[in-house]
Amino acid sequence: MKNLFSDKKTIALLSVPSIIIIAFAILAPLVVSLYFSFMEWSGFGAVTFIGMDNYRQLVLHDGTFYRALLNTFLLMLVTIFLQNPFAFVIAAILTKLKDATSRFLRTIYFIPATLSLVVVTKLWVSIFNPSYGFLNKLLQGIGFQNMQIAWLSNPKTALGSVIWIMVWQGFGWALLFYYSGLMTVPKELEEAAKVDGANKFQLYTKIIVPYMLPVIQSVIVIDVISSLKQMEMVYLSTEGGPGDLTQFIAVYLYQKAFRYSEYGYGNAISVIFVILAVFLTIFIQRIFRERSAGKKRVGA
Amino acid sequence: MTRYQVGRNSKKTLLAIFLGLFVVAQVFPLLWVASYSLQKSGDLFGPELFKLPVNPVWNNYVRAWFDGKIPQYLTNTLLVVIPSVTLSTVLSFSIAYACTRMQWKLRPVAWFIITIGLTIPIHTTLLPNFIWYNFFGLIDTRIGLIISYVAFSISFNAIIFSGLLAGLPFSMEESAFLDGAKYRHILPSIIAPMAATGFATVGVQTFLNHWNEFIMANTYLMSEAKRTLPFSIIRFQGQYSSDYAVQFACMTLVALPPLLLYFIFNRWIVAGITAGAVKG
Repeated sequence: MKNLFSDKKTIALLSVPSIIIIAFAILAPLVVSLYFSFMEWSGFGAVTFIGMDNYRQLVLHDGTFYRALLNTFLLMLVTIFLQNPFAFVIAAILTKLKDATSRFLRTIYFIPATLSLVVVTKLWVSIFNPSYGFLNKLLQGIGFQNMQIAWLSNPKTALGSVIWIMVWQGFGWALLFYYSGLMTVPKELEEAAKVDGANKFQLYTKIIVPYMLPVIQSVIVIDVISSLKQMEMVYLSTEGGPGDLTQFIAVYLYQKAFRYSEYGYGNAISVIFVILAVFLTIFIQRIFRERSAGKKRVGA
Repeated sequence: MTRYQVGRNSKKTLLAIFLGLFVVAQVFPLLWVASYSLQKSGDLFGPELFKLPVNPVWNNYVRAWFDGKIPQYLTNTLLVVIPSVTLSTVLSFSIAYACTRMQWKLRPVAWFIITIGLTIPIHTTLLPNFIWYNFFGLIDTRIGLIISYVAFSISFNAIIFSGLLAGLPFSMEESAFLDGAKYRHILPSIIAPMAATGFATVGVQTFLNHWNEFIMANTYLMSEAKRTLPFSIIRFQGQYSSDYAVQFACMTLVALPPLLLYFIFNRWIVAGITAGAVKG
């Protein structure tokens, strides 16, 4: 019987196609990218080997690259410290409502998450539009006459507006993760806390949040990775501007290659981007793992 | 009414307002666009904050449909999405089966390769694939796009399937083997039905993702005749830049199918996301 579960032909048939596709469309391109990151190439003509020059320029002299990193970091902060707590509080409220009400609200709150990035971006570009957009009309309506802010091209508001679009669409995801996490909290835990005289605030800070820590951690991991991967919204709204104020890494590498014809340089950004994504994923997961391991040791 | 009740009621009202505000924030932008998609473009510049379409201008939708070339883009989308969803579902089920229920030496390596797809950002493959795919003649072909869609969706889908498959008793295959059945019968007729919820979740989720995908389609497909649905919106903005109402109609049309799908298959989408979150 055992050898049926290790039948080589079946294993090959089941696993080789997936592995080939991933190797072909994800892993091989990374090698191609690495190769071109050492080259200077405009997309046409000669490919010149320039060693580490692209990387040197990128790491030592490229302000736009660091601007993109800073924006990614700001987005992470906003997601983790503003969007997540809101999502958590609403998820907690939803668990206390009647089933039908809760299901209705969850369905509504998740709607933006099902829309395509193109629709979401164009939707908000229209709302932010200086001449007919809803936002300026609203501000005029509540007394700010002559309000004609070009939200996406004004240096003071552009980054905030772009981050708002991202956080708006991501809200439904965070809510759903927290809601499904909260549903796994055992009822006995809450009752025991009430018997011990804990008030509602203590119930959440002392019992439920610690219990939910693994869920919170995996949501944060997802947030960090998805902040890093933001691109389409910027590409379709501000294109990184005004200047490089709303630049994100993925937009920048795309523009370098396809708009400024610096294909080699774009690939160098690409390589750094992969390293950053892999490193950050491993790093955060390790921090969380060590923390929970440390706790277990203290507990024992 | 006692003081306690007053406190409770006002608390309830506050809560309702709080939740209501979030409903408005999440839905209003859509309603705004949908509402003005049925009016004249000029109405958008009116002084009022929000106006319902009293005399709906359905012609906006007729124009969005034809001038936005929606039938053509829709066909293109389906020609990519149907194969990509089918392939991704079958392949991720297969690899998940091999990696959760069968025993082989390289299994950890294979699973590592599969899960690595979750970490690598799609955008880092855009530039190299331009050269790499071109080398194989895959640029500006639907097959090229399908390969990328499948590659980037296998990881997540395989994780969902492996969660389901790991819980099944091994006696299922064993008794079938004793009856003389082969894998090519056991997998589709015994194991796959046990993972039916997985197929629903993976199918709907992958369909939504691929239907909505923009940046790979934008990069790998160049000829107008092959482009997918999101381009109808972008095309419109370029060509009819002052015709806002028709643009809005186009956006509504593109957003509608995923929304309907979401309302119909809500349960499975949610199940998939939850499974993903638990696995991290």
